[in-house]
Amino acid sequence: MTVSTSAASTPFVSWAQRVFTPRRVVALAFVLPALVILLLITIYPLLYTLRLTVVQWELSNARAPIEFVGLNNFGRVLGDARFWNAMRNTGILIGVGVSLELVIGVGLALLLNQVVRFRSVLVALFLIPVLIAPVVSGYMFRLILHADVGPLNYLIYLITQGSSRGFGWLSDTHYALMSIMVTTIWQWTPFLMLIALAGLQSIPQEIIESALVDGAADWRIFWSIKLPLIFPVLSVGLLIRIMDTFKTFDLVYLLTSGGPGSATETVAYYTYLKGFRDFSMGYTAAMAFVQLVIIVIIARLILAMQKRQRREDYA
Amino acid sequence: MNSKPSLTNRVLVHGVLLFALAVFMFPVLWMFLTSFKDSNTEFNRFPPILFPAEWKVSNYTDALTDKGGLRAFGDSLVIATSTAVICTFFGAMTAYSLARFRTGGQDFAFWILSTRMFPPVASALPLFLIFRELRLLDTYSVLIVANTVFNLPFATWLLKGFIEDLPAELEESARVDGCSYFRAFLQITLPLITPGLVVTALFSFIFTWNEFMFALLLTRNKVQPITTVLPTLVGGHETLWGQIAALGMIAIIPGTLLALFLQRYIVRGLTLGAVKG
Repeated sequence: MTVSTSAASTPFVSWAQRVFTPRRVVALAFVLPALVILLLITIYPLLYTLRLTVVQWELSNARAPIEFVGLNNFGRVLGDARFWNAMRNTGILIGVGVSLELVIGVGLALLLNQVVRFRSVLVALFLIPVLIAPVVSGYMFRLILHADVGPLNYLIYLITQGSSRGFGWLSDTHYALMSIMVTTIWQWTPFLMLIALAGLQSIPQEIIESALVDGAADWRIFWSIKLPLIFPVLSVGLLIRIMDTFKTFDLVYLLTSGGPGSATETVAYYTYLKGFRDFSMGYTAAMAFVQLVIIVIIARLILAMQKRQRREDYA
Repeated sequence: MNSKPSLTNRVLVHGVLLFALAVFMFPVLWMFLTSFKDSNTEFNRFPPILFPAEWKVSNYTDALTDKGGLRAFGDSLVIATSTAVICTFFGAMTAYSLARFRTGGQDFAFWILSTRMFPPVASALPLFLIFRELRLLDTYSVLIVANTVFNLPFATWLLKGFIEDLPAELEESARVDGCSYFRAFLQITLPLITPGLVVTALFSFIFTWNEFMFALLLTRNKVQPITTVLPTLVGGHETLWGQIAALGMIAIIPGTLLALFLQRYIVRGLTLGAVKG
């Protein structure tokens, strides 16, 4: 008995010793907590969501059975006009909003790059919006955009010399989405500004100088030298902004609750309505999964950019 | 620029910047002023007034006591601090392994980072159902877990950069002297990356402090972080904007301090370590 165990275990131990060298054990032990947490909370929910996508499950109605419906939920999502409306709104926030953040952000960075004294103080003040909770920035803009007593409508009143009392920024279908966009632009332009500034400051001074010696005009230096050189870092920031804008939820909840009607519903907000107001679990899971696919595509782009960035760092 | 910019050019640059700064600061300033105004007589009037007639702090005291602001502040503090500590410690361990042993290679490192990009609304639903089964909804733990998941990848990547900047020789010589890997990590590596640990902890704290969706969906009334208390102040027959503004001002204290004092690290923090700034 004893003989057979030792005979069987000796090759096992030596095999184990070869694979699990102390170094590898330590390496693994150090990543274990994070690995367990991330697997449990991302992979498990992912599989859970995937399973939900093929059932119809109305949590609000305890007696309704959970039914297998195959790919029906996906079909319903793709045929849901309200989903596409939410996609359109999200698309506008990304296409118009993030573009404006980029243009204003780069513009401010170019100006800040010319400031010598107090630059870091200026940058710090500009950055305050970035680190404010979106819930609070939502309130800041509700105060400013207030239809009756807001300072913006007062400004319009002054400019039009009393002929207009301004607009219902958050209650008018024409302006509500724009108001949300203005809030995100206010909050996130400084982020892209900071990245552009970091990029501009890493451009070797000699390149600019030699271009100046050659008689290049300012706009020419910007288009042909500065912009291409800051593009790699800027694109990382830009993709992060596109990804985060795709997830826009807090501001919609705070400013308009998706209204008026569904004029300002974003994909994340509509998913929330379906899941946590209507409690249609299967349908929500399918919708969440569609978003996941889109996010994965954007995320892969970000990661590819980062990998390239790191290779350049090592080179 | 080496070419001396003309005086008019400099005036123009500073003028535009100061105007832009005024625009960007105005919402914060307006909320600050509103927080001292009487909601009925000084806020609800047209034309609006810039300064309150009398700087009252009653909005702050009312928001903190009657509206549960103090409790919310405490809840946010507990959740954000716990998340920051957990993320920083486990993040440092993971980062150490990735940086020193290249565990799992580049793909594993990027897999960790990719979990940060998961859309919260997609994970909120399964998390809600799982924690409902575990009867853990409306507790500190559920929010600490949810926020940890979203900040751990970020913390790992940020700290990985700091550890990679540190020469490995110090740990190796400690190992030669008979120090275990874990002791070398605790006593050599961690003290040397203190700035990185502080920056990582502060960012994890802020992201958790500002987080809204999980706080809204995974809690009800026993645990109420400050971001979920704010929306409850609107509605009913009258909205007390003065108190909302006061609580809003309190809620932005951590973020504002971070913006002012951690500027050097903000690019690095906000780009998940991609841009060193």
